[in-house]
Amino acid sequence: MSWPPSPPIVVPVDFSGEEVAAVQTALAVAAKPEDVHLLHVLYPLDAVSPGVVFAEVGDQERRDAVQVEFDKILAKHGLPKLQHQVRIGDPGHEVCEYAEAVGAGLIVVPSHGYGGFKRFLLGSVAERIIRNAGCDVLVTRRSDAE
Amino acid sequence: MFVRRPLPLLLLAAFLVSQAMLTPRMILADDAPPSDDPPAAGEETAATDDSEKEAAAEQAQPPAKPANAFRKAEKKIDDAFGKVNGYVATVFFYPIPLPARSPVVDDSGEQKLGENGEKLWKTATMPAAVLWLVAGAIFFTVRMGFINVRGFKHAVLVTAGRYDNPEDEGEVSHFQALTAALSATVGLGNIAGVAIAVSVGGAGATFWMILAGFLGMSSKFVECTLGQKYRSVRPDGRVLGGPMAYLSNGLKEMGLGPLGAVLAVVFAVLCIGGSFAGGNAFQVSQSLDAIGEIVPFLDRNTGNPWVYGLVMTLMVAIVIIGGIRRIAQFAEKIVPTMCGIYVLAALAILVMNASQIPAAFSTIVSQAFAPAAIYGGAIGVLVQGFKRAAFSNEAGVGSAAIAHSAAKTDHPVREGTVALLGPFIDTVVICTMTALVLVITNAYNDPQYAEFVAKNQGAALTSRAMDSVLPGFRFVLGVAVVLFAYSTMISWSYYGERCWAFLFGDGASLSYRIVFLVFTFLGSIVSATNVLDFGDLMILGMAFPNVLGVVLLSGKVKQDLDVYWAKYKAGEFEPKDTPTSETAVES
Repeated sequence: MSWPPSPPIVVPVDFSGEEVAAVQTALAVAAKPEDVHLLHVLYPLDAVSPGVVFAEVGDQERRDAVQVEFDKILAKHGLPKLQHQVRIGDPGHEVCEYAEAVGAGLIVVPSHGYGGFKRFLLGSVAERIIRNAGCDVLVTRRSDAE
Repeated sequence: MFVRRPLPLLLLAAFLVSQAMLTPRMILADDAPPSDDPPAAGEETAATDDSEKEAAAEQAQPPAKPANAFRKAEKKIDDAFGKVNGYVATVFFYPIPLPARSPVVDDSGEQKLGENGEKLWKTATMPAAVLWLVAGAIFFTVRMGFINVRGFKHAVLVTAGRYDNPEDEGEVSHFQALTAALSATVGLGNIAGVAIAVSVGGAGATFWMILAGFLGMSSKFVECTLGQKYRSVRPDGRVLGGPMAYLSNGLKEMGLGPLGAVLAVVFAVLCIGGSFAGGNAFQVSQSLDAIGEIVPFLDRNTGNPWVYGLVMTLMVAIVIIGGIRRIAQFAEKIVPTMCGIYVLAALAILVMNASQIPAAFSTIVSQAFAPAAIYGGAIGVLVQGFKRAAFSNEAGVGSAAIAHSAAKTDHPVREGTVALLGPFIDTVVICTMTALVLVITNAYNDPQYAEFVAKNQGAALTSRAMDSVLPGFRFVLGVAVVLFAYSTMISWSYYGERCWAFLFGDGASLSYRIVFLVFTFLGSIVSATNVLDFGDLMILGMAFPNVLGVVLLSGKVKQDLDVYWAKYKAGEFEPKDTPTSETAVES
């Protein structure tokens, strides 16, 4: 592992609240805040939910809504203005692809920290990223992890 | 929650089904044809030795031709369904004894007589799931002060867009939410299900079906209000809710977190089962009967029903896996047109036979309380009516709360009132139309259609009944039925997928969609009776966790309703350019 990592540093954000520690870690490692890229991945829209069927919901509206959420979360936790992106697809795959596209030196990913049966059932995005990433991956662990 | 490993779960499900295939068969009684002198609900019928004889015969014969092998595979799958149904039925349809009696009938359907010539009776029973739904609907109607009556006018005004505010959080308008929910409920349940109710329970079942629809309006109000109240808004602005959310979050608020978690999971599992069965396989199965009436090549008994199953599977696949939204949009939007055509045709038949309408109503009412012995007494008829009504309008089942939670509003009670129109349109209007046509044409009693009755092929029965008065209508109905089935399947795939996502995460959708398509195909090769039973069990079973949770949460709904109604009566919600005195009128 090369340390300190070469910029940029990618932090996947799922708005569960667990990403805040990961963002702070990334900021501590990065030379400057601009080197930290936040990324939220949306699952592709289905074709059958009422909002889609009546054409009230589209990908652009979803992207716009997420950008607003990014601004809210940065303001709420007193974080500096950071780059943030929205992609659509499978989270594990999209995070790795984005990191590769921007030549990231590190991905800082929060873990849900599930254990036992829950872990067997759910797996994790973090695991997928660790397996598929072309750069170093740092996993932050929840304080209340099982 | 993200799932990366749905495969172990699928393997587990496959293992359970294979285990079920190795065990004795039990037969559901409630929907068995009258001429078969059905056993009481939940009664077990011992496995015959047929399977052993078949096995011996197989050994003695040369290897089967591919066509025969296919038929045998079909039969094995069908038998497996029957066995699974039997197990689940012993719990969900457990016969609860009632302080009433029902006649003991012989093979010919006549009431048996005792040694001294007196009529023989037995204790009447009601399947647990049906009793649960009936009790819930009555409770909600009383608890909410007959909201199904007093909220009707407000519901119509809200649906018409009087109170729409595009700035409110949500995805669709009140009208669109109602249309989405109706596209899931209006379908084969109204055409085929009613025919089954009337042919198995007699004309009197219509009375109980209408009453169930009327009471179900209150159940729908409460559950859809809760669906709105406990919905969540995702970071991308998508709004998601339903029984999974209100059972887990609502009961947690009341300090009943563990119970809520269990009920939510049980609901989700049954809803997934319902989406595979009643919302999918049943639709294919019954629409197959109607299409078989006009395309003999696809006839279930003499043709190639699997071809229809394959076509439907592909048509559903291009939407739920291929993501072709235009087709889903077409399917959803055509439902109101199809409803209109169907109701107009039924009205035409009624007008052409207007002189018989009073007699038909008289028959319906008299047979509701004093039916012929063959229909299993008043309780037997009531059970048929309530069961088919619940299957058709899904009140108390919880499914519609998923669709209604997407409506744009800041007032959960407002969407609840919109939702109460669902059972009214579905059951009180459309199901009644079907029932009246069947009673007036006497199709449900006509010996020439006995085969349809015996095999629970309700869509075919309705098709023949309407065609006998409006020659050629079976072609229109065939098309309508296929479109109804298709739109219902699309809608139910959404319900099931939301529940799947609740259990396994949004990333697990593909595995759900694949299993859904397997059931679409199975609907064409499994017998109509087994598909009907499986659908009943899953969809009526959803009422157990849902009604229990909704009863516990009904106090919160009542509080919200009282506050909302006081403001509504005071004219606080009226558009500013409308004079308050004219509009704050309660129905």
